[in-house]
Amino acid sequence: MSMASIIVALVAFVLGALLALLTIPVLVWLERRTAGLVQDRLGPNRTNIFGFRLGGVVQSFADVVKLLIKEEYYPSHIKMGKLIFMIAPIITFVAALLAFMVIPFADTLVIDGEALRMQPLPVEYGVFWYLAIGAVGVIGVIFGGWLSHNKYSLLGAMRATSMVVSYELPLGLAIISFIVTYNTVDFNAMVAWQSSTFFGFLPSWGILVQPLASIILIIALFAETNRNPFTVAEGESEIVAGFMTEYSAMKFAMYFMAEYVAMNTASAVIITMIFGGYQLPYVSTEMLIDNFSSFAYVLILIIPAFVYWMIMFMRKNNAVRPSVSTDSGRIFETKVISIFLVVLAVVVDAILLYLILSPNALATQIAVTMIQVIIFVIKLMAFNMFFILIRWTLPRFRYDQVQTLGWKYLLPLSLFNLFVTAIVVVGVNS
Amino acid sequence: MSHNIITTPRYGNSFKDKLYLPAIYEGCKVTFKHFFTNLNDSNTVDTLEYPEEQPRDITSRYRGLHRLTHRPDDTIACVACFMCATACPSDCIFIEATERDDNKDEKMPKSFKIDTLECIFCGYCVEACPCDAIRMDTGIFSLTGNSREDFVLNKEQLLSNKGAFGEEISCARD
Repeated sequence: MSMASIIVALVAFVLGALLALLTIPVLVWLERRTAGLVQDRLGPNRTNIFGFRLGGVVQSFADVVKLLIKEEYYPSHIKMGKLIFMIAPIITFVAALLAFMVIPFADTLVIDGEALRMQPLPVEYGVFWYLAIGAVGVIGVIFGGWLSHNKYSLLGAMRATSMVVSYELPLGLAIISFIVTYNTVDFNAMVAWQSSTFFGFLPSWGILVQPLASIILIIALFAETNRNPFTVAEGESEIVAGFMTEYSAMKFAMYFMAEYVAMNTASAVIITMIFGGYQLPYVSTEMLIDNFSSFAYVLILIIPAFVYWMIMFMRKNNAVRPSVSTDSGRIFETKVISIFLVVLAVVVDAILLYLILSPNALATQIAVTMIQVIIFVIKLMAFNMFFILIRWTLPRFRYDQVQTLGWKYLLPLSLFNLFVTAIVVVGVNS
Repeated sequence: MSHNIITTPRYGNSFKDKLYLPAIYEGCKVTFKHFFTNLNDSNTVDTLEYPEEQPRDITSRYRGLHRLTHRPDDTIACVACFMCATACPSDCIFIEATERDDNKDEKMPKSFKIDTLECIFCGYCVEACPCDAIRMDTGIFSLTGNSREDFVLNKEQLLSNKGAFGEEISCARD
């Protein structure tokens, strides 16, 4: 174990924890603001700390404080299994969190001939880990639903379980077709496979190579994460809040956060498997390292343009209508954030310029890794937005429709797709 | 009778409908359009930012908080006839009458209380008043307080409320 490997492992771990945990408040806020904007409302935009509202993200932290200082309430009819009743949401949360830990955030870093993986858990069987741990989450749901001693909770838990069972099959079969195509179970190798091109001009992303399996994967992951249109497990018009009915305060928040972590994990798996992970289309890591200076020049131009656009956006939207007498410090906030963004852009541009003028192999590699992490985060947030927008677009499926879709359509389709994939792969390789 | 039979078209049986993905695409087009229009310029969102922005659509017929009107010489218009208290369906008007010694009328209220927590803002008191002494044209739609007692308005508070639509003094007493 060299110093570099320890540092890289630590950085990857911190990055993974941050990406999984810090995105929860952001995702909750994104969900509420997006719902507002889709429905021609504004959403939460008032909570602030010293006038800083950051578009309303502060609301999520206020919610956390509220949930933490709420009374811990245990229904008195729960006689046995109080401990497991308490642990159940934690199981769901931890399972969702652990499943995220095998996603590569950047390509393998090679320092002094030592390959260091940018995964919080540097394993080479990431897909299996994800499938194994991702399915554990439903055990927490079963425990919670069963121990609540409540018919709605039990029904909700039953629905969640049967849905996971029926969608795990098409999900697994779709993933097996990807494994057959990419010839690996390593997420990082999958991304490396996708950075080439096929037919000479298309990026060989999973969505283009395996369109059917990609659609099945996306649908099955929507079902796995209990997101709309598959929220039958907590259909409030039928079974109150499903397995969460008897939960309150932080125990409820655990389930709630687990849902968002699961959504984040699903987005990460989708972009890693079928949208080229941390790569830009057509650009492999070697290409990025070899032509770093030209990429850096492009970045030097893009960053000020982005900051300019951001400042213009804030000036237009972080303001109140002329009819309102007080703006509650919005103009001041815009000014401070603008100065911060400009300083940040100048610093980043200076660093990039320094890297161009005095090329250094190690520094270039680290810069490429950082660029890849940023691309990964942008893609992750974009796909989370897709999850959220789908939620506010589609109504909830009826329970029997969910099962019909899973067993009668997705399962045969994924089997068929696997069959065709196997034939094509054998045909191409022989 | 066969010409009267209307066949309702049934949807959902064509291959395109069963595929479901085109419908999702159509739905996403609508929500994405709303989302990006509103994201690009939040001023297009027609939301009233309430505490800072006050509603602009309160008409003169809006039944707001009550007030007691004045005569042209600024004395109280009410003659304590108890008509409003009798008409009140929720029994929230409490009047104590006293003799009036300024030779304008015989009676006036010594105390006139309205419990706004009981009040249902039906406007029957305004209908019942023969002297145009009680009105609900203040345009006030939110009353705040820290205790239940704060919501029982007395004579002075009711007299100090101003009409929001121009008519200040009682029309029946001149």
